[in-house]
Amino acid sequence: MSQFRDSDGLRIINNWMAEKGHAPFPFQLQTWQRYSNGYSGMVVAPTGFGKTFSVFLAVVIDYLNHPEDYPKGLKLLWISPLRSLAKDLAKAMSEAVEEIGLDWSVQVRNGDTPTAVRRKQERLMPDVLLTTPETMHLLFSQKKNSRWFKYVKCVAIDEWHELIGNKRGILTELAISQLRYYSPKLRIWGITATIGNLEEAKNVLLPYPDLKVTQVTAKQKKKLDIISVLPDEIEVLPWAGHLGANMVDKILPIIASNTTTLIFTNTRGQAELWYQLLLNAQPDLAGLLAIHHGSIDKKLRNWIEDNIASGYLKAVVCTSSLDLGVDFKPVDCVIQIGSVKGIARFMQRAGRSGHSPFERSKIYFVPTHSLELVEVSALKEAIKNKQVEARDPMVLTFDVLVQFMVTLAVGEGFDADRLFKQIQQVHAFQYMTKDDWLWCLQFITQGGQTLKSYEEFHKVILDEDGKYKVKSRRISMLHRMNIGAIVSEAHMMVKFISGGYIGMIEEFFISKLKPGDSFILAGRILELVQIKDMTALVRKSKAKKAVSPSWLGGRLPLTSHLSHFLRLQLSHALEPSRLEKELRFLNPLVSRQHEHSHIPKVDEFLVELIETKDGHHLFMYPFEGRLVHEVFSALMAYRISKLKQITFTIAMNDYGFELLSDQPIPVDDTNIKDLLSKENLMDDVIASINASEMASRKFRDIAVIAGLVVQSQPGTRKNNKSLQSSSGLIFRVLEDYEPDNLLLRQAYTEVFNQQLEEVRLQEAFDRISKSKIIVKYAKSFTPLSFPLKVDSLRGTMSNENLDKRIQRIKEQAFKIK
Amino acid sequence: MNIVKENITIEEQVLTLTNQRAVYWKNQETLILSDIHIGKTAHFRKHGIAVPDQILQDDLDRLNHLIQHFSVKKVLVVGDLFHAERNTNIKTFKIWLNQFSDVEWILIQGNHDKKSNHLINELNISVVRELTIGSFTFIHDNLEFNGNGFTISGHTHPGVVIKGKGKQKLKLPCYQITSQQFVLPAFSLFTGLNTRDIPKDATCYAFTDSSIFKF
Repeated sequence: MSQFRDSDGLRIINNWMAEKGHAPFPFQLQTWQRYSNGYSGMVVAPTGFGKTFSVFLAVVIDYLNHPEDYPKGLKLLWISPLRSLAKDLAKAMSEAVEEIGLDWSVQVRNGDTPTAVRRKQERLMPDVLLTTPETMHLLFSQKKNSRWFKYVKCVAIDEWHELIGNKRGILTELAISQLRYYSPKLRIWGITATIGNLEEAKNVLLPYPDLKVTQVTAKQKKKLDIISVLPDEIEVLPWAGHLGANMVDKILPIIASNTTTLIFTNTRGQAELWYQLLLNAQPDLAGLLAIHHGSIDKKLRNWIEDNIASGYLKAVVCTSSLDLGVDFKPVDCVIQIGSVKGIARFMQRAGRSGHSPFERSKIYFVPTHSLELVEVSALKEAIKNKQVEARDPMVLTFDVLVQFMVTLAVGEGFDADRLFKQIQQVHAFQYMTKDDWLWCLQFITQGGQTLKSYEEFHKVILDEDGKYKVKSRRISMLHRMNIGAIVSEAHMMVKFISGGYIGMIEEFFISKLKPGDSFILAGRILELVQIKDMTALVRKSKAKKAVSPSWLGGRLPLTSHLSHFLRLQLSHALEPSRLEKELRFLNPLVSRQHEHSHIPKVDEFLVELIETKDGHHLFMYPFEGRLVHEVFSALMAYRISKLKQITFTIAMNDYGFELLSDQPIPVDDTNIKDLLSKENLMDDVIASINASEMASRKFRDIAVIAGLVVQSQPGTRKNNKSLQSSSGLIFRVLEDYEPDNLLLRQAYTEVFNQQLEEVRLQEAFDRISKSKIIVKYAKSFTPLSFPLKVDSLRGTMSNENLDKRIQRIKEQAFKIK
Repeated sequence: MNIVKENITIEEQVLTLTNQRAVYWKNQETLILSDIHIGKTAHFRKHGIAVPDQILQDDLDRLNHLIQHFSVKKVLVVGDLFHAERNTNIKTFKIWLNQFSDVEWILIQGNHDKKSNHLINELNISVVRELTIGSFTFIHDNLEFNGNGFTISGHTHPGVVIKGKGKQKLKLPCYQITSQQFVLPAFSLFTGLNTRDIPKDATCYAFTDSSIFKF
């Protein structure tokens, strides 16, 4: 240990930092030391505390101490989920090595890197390469790629918490395993923000028994002020998005009194809406207020980001597009509009203000409907208790595996037995069986049972040298174009008819518009002129009113952590404590709920039955988030339909769900306990899932990632809506002809693990079985049920004969006439 | 296969609607259908979408069944027999077609067929842009019709949305009939439904596996 303390490398770095008036944080020093002792590990630190320099300088110090261990070429690979960060990180690292006096080159390689630079890198790799998981896999798909990675000493996974819960995390796990194959002594370091399952996150990243593994945690804590913005008066029947306009007057003064404000909304549609609202309310903000989201032209986004950094912009309305990324120094205030649905995300957004280690973060919460005030109250409680959500790793994602296998086959080819052993070590595939593996091999060589007779899907062949390879150039090219685990909605470009690109919009949305209709994008009101070659041509519209686009991806479900605190807060909302100003404010609403129905206590479960001219409504409020409610509601519909042939339309939000039927719903005090019983829970869930189409929806992404459906095509842009929708068809065909298809099974597993959150559902039913069930017959909509009534997202569940349903609908229609 | 029938009378002619996406005209011993889109599955595969041929096979089996059932003399395809370029599906179809040497095949040219003229020449099928039999004019896309009289067309893949109490919604394929025109549903099951372009004052005959419903 003393050796390291006295080493030249450390002295040089300490001196360099001292010159700039800094000293290393304890966690940085600890990382440097552990690294030099041969450890791999994970650094847990909030952004803005120099986490980059913890791992980066560890490698620099080790190099300074042992230059002879580092041959020419790539030394450090820096994998980050965010492209946008790479440029600034590379700049910071380049400056550091230059000032320290090293002749290292630090370069970026990702989707934005020009071809010429890429070719140059392929001839001579830099010492440090910053890249993304997808680009790593693209590199593996190149001929003779192993030569670049032979002497890599360290791979750093930045923002690991952003990767672990999704398939990009699997891409990362696989990339690491391949790097270890090329460079067996590789040290692996993850960098993550605080999440609920740090230990697991570490094991997923570092499952290899031969590694010395450690964890370094920064002690520094960010100070956080949460201020809720209350409307002047409360509506007792809240509904989503309704509060908007009258809250604008509360937001303007906040913007005025801060240097730069980021205004976060949850969907791109909301962002467009609020941008208009703010500009209309205070026209002189024009030019100082910008809008930033994923569908806006990249050039414009870059301009906006530069101008936040320079302090020119006063405020930016944005979505999760600015959740992460470069630190914006001038930002001293964040406004969150609408529920954030999660504790971690809320803290992340709050942390975008007051970015330097010793400043306070300040976040204003603006509810879009009154019930969200309960949420902010719950958030405060959760943060006080230091509760953050876990990010559960995915496992057995065969779609990503077969993609990776084809990637290697396109590259240098692979030996099946050796690769099997390598893959089995990867966390995600620890429980993969030999049969599964053989199936995957058969899939990439034969296309699986159903597609055996089609050569188009015999992608990989076993070559004479015993390696699996892709020989067709067309297949190689198609595969390279489609590497990755992000499946996007079908998008369409939006351009002015006079020329000029505005942004992207989902086909789903634009297909509902007719020429002459107006819509809002990038803060402009546009009139659709025509759709041509997958481009929507528009002109400026004079219309005063226009539809805001809805983006399918926009809605996030409430996390289980937050929902727990939500139930807690609601249960004592009738008697809030002196300091809980949100709850005090909500009192009229809560009282109305209490008078007309009931406020569920922590040990109670509320069921409401209401009859209106729309039909018969059943409401339940598990407060488990939209995804769980989707399953829960399907399950209830299924169980009720066993009592009586019936058809339901189903609506849900984060608080509860509604079953609506044209016929009386046979639910009352006598049978409610059985309907909510834990008995046969999963069997009934499976039965009800088959009825709904969840697995088919999951299969869409799986089909794209596994290469059953191609996302990008060379050459002309074509309408890919029909192509993408075909995944549903493939799903049905596989169900009929090849039910043991692994990708099909994966779709069901994903429904169970993610959508259904089996564990969470079990817990919910456990809780409910111990709760007192309260059935209330309300005369009209209650504050809790009203938001569900107006929610337009609906599903259907029926066990009635189709002909009978049509017949009855016909009769009803006749009666109404 | 369950063939459900419903007779309707248009311009004094009795037409038999079936729930299998085709109409039988007894007077002419003709089966009328539209939009088979042969070649679509192979076209999708060529573009990287793994769609098996079973879908095509099912369509052809159904057509075979209908031809046998009604002892059809003539098959009139109101456009879009083929989907796209020459591919393996076309070969399948060619072989399949051989069994109907005593059936006359007529194709009204559709927008998709224009790209595949050379394919049709190889088959024993007569092709016309428009065809008038009695008071009916057959044309693929009704919007391209300039004459007067009653048209029978395809092209739009018509469907109808039925809304009921309790916010129920159902989408079904259908025949659309007005005083001026008759739009056929797409024959192939591998097609979408268009529920937007419903002609004014149309009567819709929607169908399921077991019934036909008039709306």
